Amino acid sequence: MFENLSVFRTAHAMASHAGARQAVIARNMANADTPGYTAKDIAPFKADTGSASAQFVPRATRATHLNGTSQAAQYAISDRPGAVAEPNGNAVSLETEMVHAVNTKRQHDRALAIYRSSLTVLRSAIGRK
Amino acid sequence: MTEFSDSLSLSVSALKAQSQRLRHLSENIANADTPGYRRKTVPFKAVFDSADTPGRVETGRVRIDRTEPEKVYDPSHPLADESGHYAGSNVNLVIELADAREAQRSYEANLKMFEQARQMSRSLMELLRR
Repeated sequence: MFENLSVFRTAHAMASHAGARQAVIARNMANADTPGYTAKDIAPFKADTGSASAQFVPRATRATHLNGTSQAAQYAISDRPGAVAEPNGNAVSLETEMVHAVNTKRQHDRALAIYRSSLTVLRSAIGRK
Repeated sequence: MTEFSDSLSLSVSALKAQSQRLRHLSENIANADTPGYRRKTVPFKAVFDSADTPGRVETGRVRIDRTEPEKVYDPSHPLADESGHYAGSNVNLVIELADAREAQRSYEANLKMFEQARQMSRSLMELLRR
């Protein structure tokens, strides 16, 4: 039932995007001293506002399907643009990663706050506290 | 949920690697005055997991720095050769201390990421409680 309310769906997508990004940033941070490692990132979160074209795209339901998008490929990991490599080929800046990590945390908190306040609205609609 | 456990295990692997590095650094500093000691270095490498993206970080085999040891002039030393010199260690304390500071910085950054992933999953759990 909650899945069909678009505010819950958006909050869910936002929170899971923040989770995926957190994993990518933790990976960058872990490899901050690995020679030859380049910082990775995923595309920033964009709310799917449910336009007509987005609802009727082919979807890949098996790994062997050529077309369509599957759930796993939702967050494509790519190299972060503008990263400057150190002499040993490592291109991770701890400061930049820290900024992105804080942004991710705020996005996650925001999504959970939206979810919780919508839940409160639903609860008061059925007369509970 | 799997992202959080991923991110926790990544941070833990980095914490382990950095503390391994610090362990060898302190070994180098402790042996700075040992005759004939060669400083040890720890290489870092990314481990490729199934998703073909470099993930956890691990320390490789410990390597020995091949630079020539410092010659110390002390004719009364039992290891001294005819010219009165003996081979000291090739440990440079300034390099070791700078390296130790960098290891500490990376350790703290990873600890912060661990803390943050834990906070995020805890606030997710808070939604279920009540």
